[in-house]
Amino acid sequence: MTGTTIPLQNDTVLLPELVDDLLGLSEFGVAGEFLAAFIAAFIVGNLMLAMTGVAGPWAKRKITATFTDRIAVNHLGPGGILIIVADAVRLLSKENIIPENADRPAYDLAPIVVAGSALLGFAVIPMGSGVHLADPEVGLVYVFAVAGIASIGLVMAGYASGNKYSLLGGLRAVAQNVAYEIPLVVTGMSVVLFAGSLQMSEIVAVQNETTLFTIPGLEWAIPAWFALVNPFAFVLFLIANFAEVGRNPFDMPEAPAELVAGYQTEYSSVYFVLIYLGEFLHIFLGGAIIATIFLGGPAGPVLPEIVWFIIKIWAVFFLTQWLRSAVPRVRIDQLIEIGWKGLLVLSFANLFLTAAIVGVIA
Amino acid sequence: MSTLEETPDAEDVRALESVIGDRILARDDHENAPGFVVNPDEVQSVLSDLKEEAGYDHLSCVTAQQYEDRYESIYHLKKYDDASDEVSVVVPTTREDPVSESADPVFRTADWHEREAYDLVGIEYADHPDLRRILLPETWQGHPLSDDYDQNKPQIVTLAEHENPLQDDHHDAESDTMFLNVGPHHPATHGVLHVKTVLDGETIADIEPDIGYLHRCEEQMCQQGTYRHQIMPYPDRWDYVSAGLLNEWAYARAIEDLADIEVPEYAQVIRTMGAELCRIASHMLALGTFALDVYGEFTAIFMYTFRDREIVQDILEELTGQRMMFNYFRVGGVAWDLPEPREEFIEQARDFLDELPAKVAEYNDMVTSNEIFQARCIDTGVLEPEVAKDYGVTGPVARGSGVDYDLRRDDPYGHYENVEWDVVTRDGCDNYARVLTRMEEVEESAKIIEQCLDLLEDWPEDERTVQANVPRTLKPDADAEIYRAVEAAKGELGIYIRSDGTDKPGRFKIRSPCFSNLQALPEMTEGEYIPDLIASLGSLDIVLGEVDR
Repeated sequence: MTGTTIPLQNDTVLLPELVDDLLGLSEFGVAGEFLAAFIAAFIVGNLMLAMTGVAGPWAKRKITATFTDRIAVNHLGPGGILIIVADAVRLLSKENIIPENADRPAYDLAPIVVAGSALLGFAVIPMGSGVHLADPEVGLVYVFAVAGIASIGLVMAGYASGNKYSLLGGLRAVAQNVAYEIPLVVTGMSVVLFAGSLQMSEIVAVQNETTLFTIPGLEWAIPAWFALVNPFAFVLFLIANFAEVGRNPFDMPEAPAELVAGYQTEYSSVYFVLIYLGEFLHIFLGGAIIATIFLGGPAGPVLPEIVWFIIKIWAVFFLTQWLRSAVPRVRIDQLIEIGWKGLLVLSFANLFLTAAIVGVIA
Repeated sequence: MSTLEETPDAEDVRALESVIGDRILARDDHENAPGFVVNPDEVQSVLSDLKEEAGYDHLSCVTAQQYEDRYESIYHLKKYDDASDEVSVVVPTTREDPVSESADPVFRTADWHEREAYDLVGIEYADHPDLRRILLPETWQGHPLSDDYDQNKPQIVTLAEHENPLQDDHHDAESDTMFLNVGPHHPATHGVLHVKTVLDGETIADIEPDIGYLHRCEEQMCQQGTYRHQIMPYPDRWDYVSAGLLNEWAYARAIEDLADIEVPEYAQVIRTMGAELCRIASHMLALGTFALDVYGEFTAIFMYTFRDREIVQDILEELTGQRMMFNYFRVGGVAWDLPEPREEFIEQARDFLDELPAKVAEYNDMVTSNEIFQARCIDTGVLEPEVAKDYGVTGPVARGSGVDYDLRRDDPYGHYENVEWDVVTRDGCDNYARVLTRMEEVEESAKIIEQCLDLLEDWPEDERTVQANVPRTLKPDADAEIYRAVEAAKGELGIYIRSDGTDKPGRFKIRSPCFSNLQALPEMTEGEYIPDLIASLGSLDIVLGEVDR
């Protein structure tokens, strides 16, 4: 790999513009632009949903099964991959049971908010190979903001279900997200200090333009991915991210075995699918953020950029499943303690140190 | 092996007589212990004197039964220091006015035992803090183990009358606590257990386990079966998660001592080996499900323990022909000899034992040395030894609280006296100590199995008697009574049998270790968090089939 792999920001063609050009929609003015944007968003949305579709019913089972010494699905199709179809039919054909005490429409909105907020985040992620929907100057802030909307969905689900387990799960979700979003954002800020920009394409570009060091003899230039520049921030961000997406050791809001299924206890059928989708989208969005701001975005040797990008977010997904199989969950009070007394302090320390270093170098 | 010689000698009995003094109305000796008949209104004073002055600090069981002319409550007392030192306090009450003083102020464990006596037999206990039905629904008509109970009369409870235990909304505008039903359908209750929980935030303000959902009239079914053949299949169904042989031994021991049957030593060795295999299987399951409770439902530990438990199950299947409901013990021995070819079976068992240390090390790597696991388990679900004794807690739960009590050593039976092994105790008193205790017990069991295998391998071919000569029909002497316990996977599993001269027991009472252990749950969890409640429940390792019987 060379340090010259610079995606996108040089040729700032975003996916909507590309669609625009290909289909010749520009002559229709604003309506054409809108249509182009819609088609582009459709493509990206479906890419993400397809990945979730593979991850939820199939990959997750296979990964967990490998960790737990089992085989998992293997009857339908090669390696059981067609279980995805079977599961889709199964889940969608089930009765959507809505509890008597449910507070509608909050109960109905919650799954949409949970799934939708995560999808929104992908709008600003540069996925390489030209798949990039929008590149606002405040990209990083935007992605944190929309990802945070999911907490509202969790609270809505928890409170509106009219179930005490759901309520406890919802409350835990809030406590957890409040405690971990601050370290998440503060650690993200340290990256901004390095990059000098909130724009996603710029953050990616800075990582790949700079060479951290060159391996002597091999002539391989190792790019200055922030995970390599500041591994401490990377680890902090990973941990905060696991809490943010609610996975072991921080799967408090669901906590199967304690709270039955937490905020999603009362959801069935399509609503359940939406919440489930939302969870996986969140893991992938978390992976996408990590890939973008720490792992050089879609950059990588030989393979097309989009493939590298997908590999990177699947690596993060794999890590969540690994932790899920191997790490106990902490208790809610321990979780809050780790968040406020540990991660928050460390993330601020990281921010100040980074600021000092960046200041000295500048 | 008869234990009749163990009856305390006259000197000890005289010492006891002096403790109780003129409160003794009569003597009613049992096969296992001297029995003293006392007045229904002197229960507390007698028991408290026996506890404080004579050191009988373990109320093992309370048996209630009805005779033609009276009701009778029997308090089976033991010492935690010396389990073979037993005494029975027999409290008769009239049929017309079956009120007896409660032992609850002296032994907290009497709470549930007396509720069960009230529920099933109909004896009332004055001064009892909470005398409600425990196994049957509140609306039940009559007491099923009393003579005048009509089994054919349908229990008709109208919907309006039927109290739904989950119905109350417990809404109280004044308080700022929340009532939460944990169970009866909940992923972590290890069966159908209902824990009424009052929460203050996420902190547990008060809990009350509600049991009986799995009550299957096991005692009554045993009373309707013949000693010789019809009772032995039932014990497999008490603690049904692979502890079958341990349960069978409880009945076998009681009836063999009652009917004075000598079990061939060869059969005892096979029994000892089988029982310890069951203990390993049971402890592996306990570890796996506890990991589920602490890790979440996708943990690898659960499958790992199940994978290894499966090997034990295979060995047991080879031995008994069954995976769960073994029905392998017989009165006076076991059903058959080791499977042929013998060498293959012994090798199969040896292979398992050889691999076991590596597996235990793997568990220690993955579970007990994990920092988060330690943070979750150390100092949670604390059960102080004195509290444990008060609640009659036994088994790994008691040993995890530093109570050095193991019937295999303290009241030996089978071949345990002749093999080298150690009783595992830990002083942690918490969830972590209980897990470690079980894991170490697995290793101790492996030692016992190893020695048994050595013996079995070299046993002369013409001396392999697997069963004693037992008459086709067993009729122990009328009014002979015995209480005998063995160390089951969860603790002291005791059987009380009163013979009425026929070939079926007059009264068959099961002392379930899970029943007593579960009673201590509120002490362990109040003031802690919901996750600690779930973890404590997991570390108690209860099986509802044994709690509810």
